[in-house]
Amino acid sequence: MSKLTKTVVVVGGGIAGWLTAGRLAAKHQSHKKNGLKVTLIESANIPAVGVGEGTWPTMRSTLRALGISETDFIRECDASFKQGAKFAKWCNGKEDDFYYHPLVLPQGFGKTDMAAHWLARQARSKAGQEQVSSFSDEVCYQEALCERGLAPKTIRTAEFADIANYAYHLDSGKFAIFLQKHCQEKLGITHIIDDVIAVNSITTEQGEKGDISSVTTQNNGEIAGDLFVDCTGFSSLLLGKHYGVPFKSCSDVLFIDTALAVQVPYDSDDADIASHTISTGQDAGWIWDIGLQHRRGVGYVYSSKHSTEAEARAVLANYVGDKFSSLKVRKIPIVSGHREKLWHRNCVAIGLSAGFLEPLEASALVMVELAGQMLSEQLPQSREIMDVVAKRFNEIALYRWQKIIDFLKLHYILSERKEPFWTDNREDDTIPQSLQELMALWQYRAPADHDFTSNNEVFPAASYQYVLYGMGFKSDYRHTPYVLDDIDFAQKQFMQNKKFIDTALSSLPSNRELLNKINKFGFNRI
Amino acid sequence: MAQLVAIDSKNHLNLKIDDSKIELHGKTLHLVPAVLSEFTNMVVQYPLVITKSADSGQFVFAAMLGFEAGENLFWRDEQWQGLYLPLQIRRQPFFVSNTENSNNKGDYVVYFDSDSPTISTEDGQALFDEQGNESDYFQQAKSCLAQLLRGEADNSRLIAHLQKMELLQVMKMEITFANQQTATLNGLYTIDQEKLASLSAENISILHKEELLQTVYTLITSLGQMHQLIDLKNKKLGY
Repeated sequence: MSKLTKTVVVVGGGIAGWLTAGRLAAKHQSHKKNGLKVTLIESANIPAVGVGEGTWPTMRSTLRALGISETDFIRECDASFKQGAKFAKWCNGKEDDFYYHPLVLPQGFGKTDMAAHWLARQARSKAGQEQVSSFSDEVCYQEALCERGLAPKTIRTAEFADIANYAYHLDSGKFAIFLQKHCQEKLGITHIIDDVIAVNSITTEQGEKGDISSVTTQNNGEIAGDLFVDCTGFSSLLLGKHYGVPFKSCSDVLFIDTALAVQVPYDSDDADIASHTISTGQDAGWIWDIGLQHRRGVGYVYSSKHSTEAEARAVLANYVGDKFSSLKVRKIPIVSGHREKLWHRNCVAIGLSAGFLEPLEASALVMVELAGQMLSEQLPQSREIMDVVAKRFNEIALYRWQKIIDFLKLHYILSERKEPFWTDNREDDTIPQSLQELMALWQYRAPADHDFTSNNEVFPAASYQYVLYGMGFKSDYRHTPYVLDDIDFAQKQFMQNKKFIDTALSSLPSNRELLNKINKFGFNRI
Repeated sequence: MAQLVAIDSKNHLNLKIDDSKIELHGKTLHLVPAVLSEFTNMVVQYPLVITKSADSGQFVFAAMLGFEAGENLFWRDEQWQGLYLPLQIRRQPFFVSNTENSNNKGDYVVYFDSDSPTISTEDGQALFDEQGNESDYFQQAKSCLAQLLRGEADNSRLIAHLQKMELLQVMKMEITFANQQTATLNGLYTIDQEKLASLSAENISILHKEELLQTVYTLITSLGQMHQLIDLKNKKLGY
C-alpha cells in the first residue's frame, strides 16, 4: 500500500488559501481525530492581493459548504447583492449603449429558441411594426430589478435562498479575515503564521525534483505533508518557483495588463447601492464599478500598449468625478494567463498562483471555488492514485481556463468602437480558434447547450446569448424559418417575463433597504 | 395603514369609540397575530401557524382564518362568527409604543387609529369623563394592550428557543377544495415533530421549566383545525 494522504499543507493565507483549506477541512472532517489534517501556513509579512470584489452565485453554495451563516457573512464582509453585470458603452460607446448579462436564465430557455424569436421581433420593430426592448430585457426580468436597484430577495426569504438568482459583491480584505476566523474556530485547521523559506523535495532516479516532502519555515522548522496546495499568489512559490512549471500568457488574446483602483465613499449613508456590477467601456479598456454597503470599488483596467498611465488616470478621474482628487489610487499589474498545468506531483496551485485574467465577469474567485471543490471532492486517498487525479484535475482546470478566455474575448470582438484598443481586439489572429469556430456556427443559430458539452463548463450557453445579442449580433435564420413556427409559445414566454417584472417590482425592496434589514434583523435559516 | 394619533385627555375628551364596530378590523384578515396567553382560546377553532413578519422577516405566531390574502372564513353576515375574538382585534383601535428618547424608560404612549371605523364623537364609549379622568372602558382597553405587550415578550422567548433547538420547519401544504380548486400554502412554518420527538432531555426540561412545552404541543394540535377551515371554505364555495 502506498503512502496515504493524511496531511494537506496549504501555503498562503489569502482568500484562496482559506477557501481551499476550509473546503478540505469541512468535507474531510478535520475537526475530528480521524479526519484529514489540514495545516495552513500564512506569512505575516506578505500582504494579500485582495483579488475580486465580485463573485458568482456559486459563492452561496461555497459559504454553505463551509457552514457559514449568510447574515454573518453579509454583516462582516461589507457584502451586497450582485444580480449580474451591466455592460455600458461596449457596443458603440454612446450614452444609451448598454446591455445586461443577468444571472437568471432567459425565460423559455431550452424549450424554444427565444433568441430567434427576439431577433424576428427586433426586425419587425425596425420596420416600425412593434415595440421591442433589448434581448436581456425581453427574456429576463432581472434587468428590470437591476435598473431599479432592487434586491434579489426579501427579509422573509431564508438565508441563501432567492427570489432572483444572485451572487455577492464583497470587501476582499474583510472576507479573508472573516474566512480565517471561521475556518480556525469551526473547522479544525492548524494555522501557522510564518514565512516559508525553502521547499524540500526528494530527487527522483532521473535526477528530477520529485514529491515535496516538506516546506521549511523561518520559526517553525520543517512542516511535512502528503499534499501541498500552492496558494502563494502571483509568486507561485511551489508550482512556479520550485517546480518551474511554465506560465502560459494569454496577453495576445486579452490585452489588459494594468489596473488603477480606488475606493469611492458614498455621498450619504442611505445612498442607493447598485445590485449589479457596472462595467463601462473606455478608450483602452473598461471601468468596473462595484457597490458595497459602505463604499464603491471602482477601477480602470486598461492596456498599457494603448494608453499611458496619465491618460488612464484622467479617464478614471473623469468617471469618478470631483471626489477623485482625494482618493488613493492603487496600481495593480495584471499578467493574464495561467500555469501550463495546475497540479504537478503532490503539489496543486489554486488562486493567483494558478493563473489570473482581467476581472471581466469576475472569474478569479469562482476559479478558486471550483478548484477547491474539485480538490476536496476528488482528494486522492493515497499517493498511488494521485497522478491519476492530477491528470484529470489538470484537464478540467485547463479546459476551464480556455473557456473563460474565450468568453472574455467574446465581449470585445463584436464591438463597433473605433479606438485602437477595440479595433486591435477584433483582429482575427487575436481570437482563439475555438471561439472562431463557435462564432461560425452561431451565424446561423443561437448558442445552445449542445455547444457546451462538458460537465465542467463555467459559462452556460445562456451567458453567450446574453453577450452576443446584447452586443448586437444577429444570427441568420433565413434558411431555417420553421424555427419560428412555435411563435405562440414564444409570445407566451415574452408575456410571462413581463408578468414576472410586474410581480417582482411590487414585492422586492431596494438593495439598500434589504441590507439595512439584514444588519438589523438578519435572515432566518428556513 | 393605520393613522396613529397619541391620546391625551385635552384633545380627546370628546372622542368616543363605537365598540360594536371593532370586529370590522378583522373582516379581511386571513392571518391574525397571536400571543401565547391566548393560544388555548384560539385552538378551539383556529389553526395556529408561524409566519414571518413582512417588515423584519422574524418569526411570528398567527391564527389562520383563511387561505388567501383578504379571506376571513370566520366573517359571515357582516359579523365575526368565531367563538373567540383575538386580542389583536379586540385591542382596536388602540396601539401602544415605548416612547423613544424618553427620560422615563418604560414609559408607554397609547395611540388610536384615526382611520378606524370605530371612531366617533357621538355614539360609543368615552375615553375620559368630564374631568379628564380615564373611563373604565379606556382602562380596560389599556389592560388589553398590556396583555399584548407581555404576550409579545413571551412570543419572542418561545421563538428564540424553537430556533435554537432547530424545532421549526417549513409547512408545506397543498389543499384541494370541493370544487377542485387548489391552494398552496406558502410562507408558513410549524413545529418539526420528528425533531421534537428526538429532543434531548435537557432541552425538554428547559421548555418545561419555562412553561413553554405545553405551548409547543398546542401549536401542533391546533393544526387539526385546518380541517374545520377547509370545511368553512367548501361551504363558502357552496358545497
